[in-house]
Amino acid sequence: MKKIVKSKRTAILLTTALTAMLALSGCGGGKSAGNVAAGGSGAGNTSGSGEQVTISHYTIDSEDRTFIEKLIPDFEKAHPNIKVKVEKAPYEQFDSKLQTLIAGGNSPDVTSHYGYGGFAEYYNKGMLLDLTDLIKEDGFKAEDYNIPENLMKIYTVNGHTYGIPVNMYVTLMLYNKDMFDAAGVSYPPSDYEDKSWTFDRMVEDAKKMTLVSDDIAKTQYGVDFTWAERDMRPLYFGAEPYSEDTWTNGGVPSETHFDSPEVIAAYQKLFDLVFKEKVSPTSEWSKSVAGQNGDPFVAGKIGMSIGGSWNLAGANDFPFKIGVAAVPWGGNDKVRSTLFVDPLLILKDSKHPKEAFEWIKYLMTTEVQEKSIALSGGNPPVNTEAAEVYYKHFDGIDPGDVKKVYEGAVKYGYESYNHLITNYSQINDMFINELQPVETGHKTLEEVMPVIQKKVTEIIRR
Amino acid sequence: MSTVKATRPLGPPSRLRRRFKPVKLASFITLLLTTFLMLLPLFFMVSTSLKSKREMLKFPPTFLPESWAWSNYTDIFETLQFGTMYKNSLIIAGLSVLGTLLSSALVAYGFARYRGRGNNFWFILLLSTMMLPYPAIMIPQFVLFSKMQWIDTFLPLIVPAFFGSAYNIFLLRQFFSTLPEELFDAGRMDGCGELRMWRTIALPLSAPALATVAIFAFIYSWNDLLTPVLYLSSSDKFTLPVGMASLTSSRFRIPPWHLLMVASVLAMVPIVTLFAIAQKQFVEGIVLTGIK
Repeated sequence: MKKIVKSKRTAILLTTALTAMLALSGCGGGKSAGNVAAGGSGAGNTSGSGEQVTISHYTIDSEDRTFIEKLIPDFEKAHPNIKVKVEKAPYEQFDSKLQTLIAGGNSPDVTSHYGYGGFAEYYNKGMLLDLTDLIKEDGFKAEDYNIPENLMKIYTVNGHTYGIPVNMYVTLMLYNKDMFDAAGVSYPPSDYEDKSWTFDRMVEDAKKMTLVSDDIAKTQYGVDFTWAERDMRPLYFGAEPYSEDTWTNGGVPSETHFDSPEVIAAYQKLFDLVFKEKVSPTSEWSKSVAGQNGDPFVAGKIGMSIGGSWNLAGANDFPFKIGVAAVPWGGNDKVRSTLFVDPLLILKDSKHPKEAFEWIKYLMTTEVQEKSIALSGGNPPVNTEAAEVYYKHFDGIDPGDVKKVYEGAVKYGYESYNHLITNYSQINDMFINELQPVETGHKTLEEVMPVIQKKVTEIIRR
Repeated sequence: MSTVKATRPLGPPSRLRRRFKPVKLASFITLLLTTFLMLLPLFFMVSTSLKSKREMLKFPPTFLPESWAWSNYTDIFETLQFGTMYKNSLIIAGLSVLGTLLSSALVAYGFARYRGRGNNFWFILLLSTMMLPYPAIMIPQFVLFSKMQWIDTFLPLIVPAFFGSAYNIFLLRQFFSTLPEELFDAGRMDGCGELRMWRTIALPLSAPALATVAIFAFIYSWNDLLTPVLYLSSSDKFTLPVGMASLTSSRFRIPPWHLLMVASVLAMVPIVTLFAIAQKQFVEGIVLTGIK
């Protein structure tokens, strides 16, 4: 009898403890999932009272992203009431973990669109906190942090700001100096104002370096022109596949023109590099040669490669001498480079938006942005003053060239579609699948583009 | 190997054996070739793990490393918190195996030895959980564990193993059903309780099946990526697959494939060891449970 009583007591104790635990944690969870305005103002009050809060920064688990961990000690010293915790996930799992965290009431405070999903997708899902009031209250000015005003506009929708730009990657041309020397071709210019540097001249140069042989080890191509995401490529030749209103209303185009003659002609010009001029590799060849590295340029098999400026970060490891050049003029007087501007975002479910904003401001200061370049292994800052340090970061590449290429890219740059169009990860997957038969030469653009046009329309309406 | 052994006693006397030799030789060569093909990726894994970063980028790739970069095997401990991750993975996998064995064997014993009302219904219900894909329960489960304050601990990765898994229960139930009822009758006559019969009769007789389940559970836990990614956030708690996925995470850098291969070689060690130890039981387990 005594035994039963005893076990009963422990049972009751246990149940109470469990209920209490559930109730307590349930409370927190409920609040975070509840309305945001209340959470926001509540956090404002707590920071005033000097209460200790912990904010979390969710990022990709790779050295060029997790370097922020090394910046935390200094920040915490300056802000004794704020602790920063870095949460991370591998690239492939970034989006699914973020969705689960938010759905589970464990939303991180600060993050960026580092996964497959872009800004517009987050915005349209209502995941982002409107920073406009925070910015006003704080007196934050982009110019104090040397952030160009036009970059701030990228993450402003209908006059409301949703993100602060932190890194800016551009599209540029990398070239293999060894291959140019061997073919006796002069190096391409890094100056965007050099009018002789056109798409057609690039093709001529590429022809001199292309060598197709039965021996796959000896084969090399002059150019690999994979400018931006597949749906963005027509823009380079001046054809616009999405209607103008896309960029002003949160990334939902009212019309798309993927079956228009201009767009098809633009794609044709790119595929001609492979199938008509034969100066670019087929996708199969690239895959077999590049293997695990995914980029035949890195293997030293390509003369010129259009790509993101992130390729520069690995340049010190390439087994050949490398230079940077401007993207040649292709018929669009305004756009010759894609910009990939990564913002820092505060999520709607953040419990401490004010403290999160303090952390963001800290990451934007010139001193920290300069420090971040080396710590990250070469992330390009948006801070124009820190950028001077960035230009000098790469061994064996002339800082003057890097600077010219960057400045030209900003002048002739267009923000990447993947940040600006809704449901972008689905659009991108669809493009990769549908264009595949064209890339392998099994179908023509005239067959494929109407299908793409139909599918894009469907995805956007989702 | 075992098939060769099995045919020998039935095989013809020495006079006839000679006639079979070409066939045997042919099959031996075929086996050798297939083995070679199977081992080729493994060979490249080990070979790449010993190449320098520069050599790794070469095309065509070198067959053997030009200069043997043994230092890769120490570098991995500096690039990743490899030792910690290895230890974490071992702890989680070890406890998962223990949990799976205990719970699944107990439940399977119940299903195999008791006949009761709704017996089949419950069993079918249990099996139908196998059809639920993980993403379907991912978020509710996350909410549950997050309310229990289990985020960023090993608990969500270990505790579920202690609540059985349909596949392993099914596997063990099939095995337990084959044990002769007489054994348990004898036990009962000697005054053995059910738990004791489970422990002293059923479990020792099921070593092959248990070894099979143990290996499955270990491999599952050892390779699992999504669950640790969801529940763990601090790097000192990461498991090996998370760390290895992170090596190729940067969209901006050339992945350090040579180090990834080092990690892969080292990650194989526990599974190969476990398999070597349990091989006899494992093969028997597959043969027995597979046939019946």
